[in-house]
Amino acid sequence: MAFTFTGGIHPKEHKNTKNKKIERLTAPKTVSIPLSQHIGAPCKATVKPGDTVTKGQVIGIVQDGLGVPVHSSISGTVKQIITKRMPDDRAIESIVIENDFNDTLCPDIKPCETPLKDLTSDEIIERIRLAGISGMGGATFPTYAKISSAINKVDTMIINCCECEPYICANHRLMLEDPKSIIGGATILLKALGLRTCSIAVENNKMDAVAALKNEIGSSNMFNVCIMETKYPQGDERQIIYALKNIEVPAGKLPADVGCIVFNAETCSAVYKAFAYGMPLIERILTVDGDCIAKPKNVLAPIGASYLDLIEFCGGLRANVKKLVNGGPMMGAAQWDIEGSVTKGTSAVLVMSAKETPAYTADGVCIRCGTCVRACPMHLYPSYLAMFARNDAFEECKNYDVMSCVECGSCTYGCPGGVPIVQLIRSAKVRVRAMK
Amino acid sequence: MDNQNIDKKTADRLPELLTVSASPHIRSSVTTSSIMLTVIIAMLPALLWSIYLYGIRALLVVAVSTIASVASEFLYQKLMKQKVTVNDLSAVVTGILVGFNLSPLIPLWIAAVGSVFAIVIVKQLFGGIGKNFLNPALAARVFLFIAFSKPMSTFAEPLSNISLFKSNADVIASATPMASLKAGTVPSDINIIQSFIGQTSGCIGEISCLLLLCGGLVMLVRRVITWHIPISFIGTVALLSYLFAPRTADAASFMMFSIFSGGLFLGAIFMATDYATCPMTSSGKLIYGVGCGAITVFIRFFAGFNEGVSFAILIMNLLVWYIDKLTRPRPFGKIKSKKGETSK
Repeated sequence: MAFTFTGGIHPKEHKNTKNKKIERLTAPKTVSIPLSQHIGAPCKATVKPGDTVTKGQVIGIVQDGLGVPVHSSISGTVKQIITKRMPDDRAIESIVIENDFNDTLCPDIKPCETPLKDLTSDEIIERIRLAGISGMGGATFPTYAKISSAINKVDTMIINCCECEPYICANHRLMLEDPKSIIGGATILLKALGLRTCSIAVENNKMDAVAALKNEIGSSNMFNVCIMETKYPQGDERQIIYALKNIEVPAGKLPADVGCIVFNAETCSAVYKAFAYGMPLIERILTVDGDCIAKPKNVLAPIGASYLDLIEFCGGLRANVKKLVNGGPMMGAAQWDIEGSVTKGTSAVLVMSAKETPAYTADGVCIRCGTCVRACPMHLYPSYLAMFARNDAFEECKNYDVMSCVECGSCTYGCPGGVPIVQLIRSAKVRVRAMK
Repeated sequence: MDNQNIDKKTADRLPELLTVSASPHIRSSVTTSSIMLTVIIAMLPALLWSIYLYGIRALLVVAVSTIASVASEFLYQKLMKQKVTVNDLSAVVTGILVGFNLSPLIPLWIAAVGSVFAIVIVKQLFGGIGKNFLNPALAARVFLFIAFSKPMSTFAEPLSNISLFKSNADVIASATPMASLKAGTVPSDINIIQSFIGQTSGCIGEISCLLLLCGGLVMLVRRVITWHIPISFIGTVALLSYLFAPRTADAASFMMFSIFSGGLFLGAIFMATDYATCPMTSSGKLIYGVGCGAITVFIRFFAGFNEGVSFAILIMNLLVWYIDKLTRPRPFGKIKSKKGETSK
């Protein structure tokens, strides 16, 4: 019996690259590394144009506030520091580095000498912080801060290998090709938290990955692989906790408040590499797919590589592009800059034509079919929230728990009338926050 | 694009501007028109059966009501300078349902009037699809029943030759099964199986419970409706008819005839499940179905009308938004609130 939650949808999986081995991206000519890739304060550059940098060298640190350092993903010369504006008018600085193709490793990079059993929690946390690791499932929360605030508070650790979004096969391939890094990273995290066992949640459309993990785990009873029903959004940490433990994280609270902590599979892998090789987070696996891509692949790309680099690596385009999405098709963000960068949180780059991604229908009409109500994993009334939002009834939105919405998009996916429910909810949330 | 040497083929396929719109970026293939098409297909078996029983006139009535329905929606929207939405097929469904609620002998102009009432007054004047507060076809049926009571109560003998042009005085049916039930007896001229398959007289769409059930299963499988309303509606009528069967009749037979007559199957499967006028939660649907069933039996037993289905559904339609409020789901991560109740 697979674990599951109530609500959710079954979109077409499009797991086109699940049998494609991860390929390392051909070294790009330049990388453009944003100084803000995590939740918290942005980094300040510690290098200037003209400086030579090595692979893995620190190029940005957070002076005060929550954050992790940023490292160079290639060796070369700093060309310039550019500023790009976001739609909400934030200015994001990026460091553009020109590749010298020597792949020179930073001399500071050394594996951790101390055996795991002799490391203290603080030492583990500090090394994770210095490695620049933040949540790689897309949330990008600094991992060291997540661990520190959870020590002595949590008794359940869960590794999220669900990967419920369509197209994305990055974690799937990681489980098949390098399960040692996931289990190794999880072992380190368990030590940091002072826990003995952890669960690994995998959806049942990845049974080969389950076998690979179990093979790696062997006879150890530290790890318990849990099979989840394949359903979107099973990968949402609240739904994993509910499916495995039948506990609902209270509205407005975090998993740590119910004694749970959830880590993404690739975050574990990054933690392992930080200890086994001393490597900071400078590259990640992402799926490049979408009907415009000639040869979809799972790519191991350096942070800062551009979308164009990825497109060319994957055989170029075979259809006219309408949209480029950073992330999955349900919750990812449409991009406006074809030369935008791969960041620590980029799990996929999807290049879609008009056939694959339908037009946004601002004038969609609700026919009260109830599909959205059945789909909502947070058990809200999406159709009513959309109606209230459209009519500026923000007090009603608040009373109908609009702030509990996780913006998963399950409601909008199935709406026959084409109502842009999630976007209406997002705009309502902005007004409700301003009301408080 | 500054220093990249892009492959020409790639450059050709890149647009001037990338489209940036809100997530989600994919959609399911279900649209309003695909749902309506499933409903139309589900209604076809019952329609074909009526044509078999009553000849081409049955088809003509439904055709007129459907064309009038689509035409009135088109003309209204054009006149009001609104976006014309007839291709979502909801007017077609309403038109067919209006026809289904009429006798095959009904004068065609009355059928057209019914459709115009349903679309213009009940649906469009209140805001169009999704915003009507009463089921349009059912409201039209009641309007016609009150305005043209004689033609609306004149039914034909099944398998009689209904002429399109000459007078049809000789094919008029004797009392429908519902009239016998009202009098407190089980109908004598047909048996339960015939009543279920549909070898009686009545309105075009309400006769064959078997074929309406098949249509209901089609909609269930295609996830257009859920089981809650039909089962709770029909189940409540069955239970109450059995419990309160008149002493002059055998309770079990009375119950069976009660559920197979009076347009209950048509009402419970196709009319009460109309999205705009039924609750959105599962528990809400059950309350609604039970309410419809109870009011149906009440009207059948105590009121002057032979059937109660139409009025029952219309009365429950008025309570739908309140039922939605009452059965609001408990949000994930919140404890049961004082006013809402747990659903799902």
